[in-house]
Amino acid sequence: MSTNDPVQRQMIREAMQAIAERKPGRSKLVYDKTKRTIVAVAEGSQTPQALNITADDADMFGVITLSSDWLRKNWPQLKSQGALPLTFSSWDDGDALTQLELCIQPSAATARGTLSLDRDTKSGSSGTVIVLQKIQGGASNLDRFLAPDGELYRATVSVEAGQATPSADVVFADVEPQLELRRAGILESTKLKDKTVLCIGLGTGGAHIAVELAKCGVGRFLLVDRDRLSVGNVVRHPGGISQVGRSKVNVVRDLILEKNPGAQVEVRAIELEYGNKDAIGDLVRASDLVVCGTDNRPSKLLINELCVAANVPALYGGAFRRAYGGQILRVRPKQSPCHQCFVAAMPDEAADVEVSSESDASEIAYSDRPVAVEPGLSLDVLPIANMIAKIALVELVADKSSTLNTLRKDFDAPWYLWLNRPEPGTQYASLPPLSESSDEMTINRWYGIYFDRDAACPVCGDFVSILASSYGLDPALLPALPAKE
Amino acid sequence: MWTTAQRDRLGIEHQILQREGFSQFSVWYERKDDTYYASGVATSNSGRRYSLYIPIPSGYPTQRPPLYITDPCPLYTADGKTISSLGISHSMHTLSPLGDMVQICHWRDNRWHSGIVLQKVFLKAHLWIEAYEQHLATGRPLAEFVRTMAEVA
Repeated sequence: MSTNDPVQRQMIREAMQAIAERKPGRSKLVYDKTKRTIVAVAEGSQTPQALNITADDADMFGVITLSSDWLRKNWPQLKSQGALPLTFSSWDDGDALTQLELCIQPSAATARGTLSLDRDTKSGSSGTVIVLQKIQGGASNLDRFLAPDGELYRATVSVEAGQATPSADVVFADVEPQLELRRAGILESTKLKDKTVLCIGLGTGGAHIAVELAKCGVGRFLLVDRDRLSVGNVVRHPGGISQVGRSKVNVVRDLILEKNPGAQVEVRAIELEYGNKDAIGDLVRASDLVVCGTDNRPSKLLINELCVAANVPALYGGAFRRAYGGQILRVRPKQSPCHQCFVAAMPDEAADVEVSSESDASEIAYSDRPVAVEPGLSLDVLPIANMIAKIALVELVADKSSTLNTLRKDFDAPWYLWLNRPEPGTQYASLPPLSESSDEMTINRWYGIYFDRDAACPVCGDFVSILASSYGLDPALLPALPAKE
Repeated sequence: MWTTAQRDRLGIEHQILQREGFSQFSVWYERKDDTYYASGVATSNSGRRYSLYIPIPSGYPTQRPPLYITDPCPLYTADGKTISSLGISHSMHTLSPLGDMVQICHWRDNRWHSGIVLQKVFLKAHLWIEAYEQHLATGRPLAEFVRTMAEVA
């Protein structure tokens, strides 16, 4: 304060305290445009040449966040003991303290505190002391806590001697209701809460899909991937550099819980191979939907076989090489073409995969003719992942009344194609520019493509009977195979 | 271990082999350990004989079956190396060997699907054998003679 006017100094002090306490005072601060400085004026006075300064403008205080759920569970203990110890994740040099019970991935630094009920407890308390004070009813707000006894409380940080104002605001995080409030509207999150999605393959796309579905309120996830997060993954994967070395299933589990703490997440860091067929089959049968984000055909065909047998819908997604585009196959067993129908009908399209790792490269290369690892950009993978997440939502609410059901006509095709660029050397190299085309195929548009189920499909059709009849054989009358003892 | 669908499929596949000019090959059931394999002897145009062996994997037909040449064993390249020592080789169109037994690359994992029948696998083995003998005769990589193998699928 540069003014020497004692009245002005007192008014500024009172105004600042009022702002800190979020309540009107006798004076308020304004920015006087003519004087080009902040001055204090009496509350209620008209100041046409000035801008009012509110608490939001002057928010220079830290925030302490308490878990409403934790507080409800520990309420009887708090009532009987009068105070409870708290531990916080301490962020940004203590600017934000988040109760550890809320933290899926806590901060490196922690801080201690004490929660006191109705009285300013100093003795025996440690760290920041937060006092819960009963208040009269009012509108629900983030700074209020409705206790199990039906009383409304507000929390404040105990003011130290010589301290004019509290050092931080205290807010309550009532996670589930606050998250559901944001999802409500187009998404009936309660309808997704009891749904289980099996996510197989948690690379860039698979991880993104899982996290998006968690944000939408899907309640249960089964995650399968054998890989660990590597430094090279970080440039595309939602997991960050601090997660390098962790199993992708655990990285993605934590990302899911960061967005949907109420979700149940089971993880399996196993190889997707025939030796694990029974274990994977159990997961498929426990799911409402399978999202397959692997990049090799054997794993997709194994999942396809298991999903068709279990009558569980599945989505297969992937980027083409260097992510010049991508495709999605949605399989509703016995109703739409399965993945085997797809590879038989369109072998080249089905074999066009992104080579994003050494492991992917080895799948399609000989040792004397290596295939270069050429991953695409994350921003080219994410449109495909987003579309899969959206189709997944439509599938998950298919048996329920939902505003999302209006999309069922749009997402009626079994196969979806997306192009990020007119890749040289492909059939899409000569696409017209986006700005010049109205009917022709272009980049950055989704195309739903129809093709028929294969009646003689070995997985979803009647391969054996049709094959037998084409050779004039009756499968029921075949002689036994030659046997060796 | 085996599903009825798998057993029916193998029964049909045996009949196709017998009726479609591949009767030198059969699908066999090994009762003592409840396993299946397909085997037989392929004869090249030059009259050389090659014993072929396909152990049927438990995931068949979704899982690709390997095809090994069990006799002659080992097989040699034109310059006298064992083919098995080359491992997974593009120039010789081979996959991981089983000991000295060469595994022919009939279909890669990323091209295999359950619509492919054993008859076609044996057909590809025939083509590989002809290409191998051309390799022996000319010294040129076997791959030069089977560039279009995928088209017979």
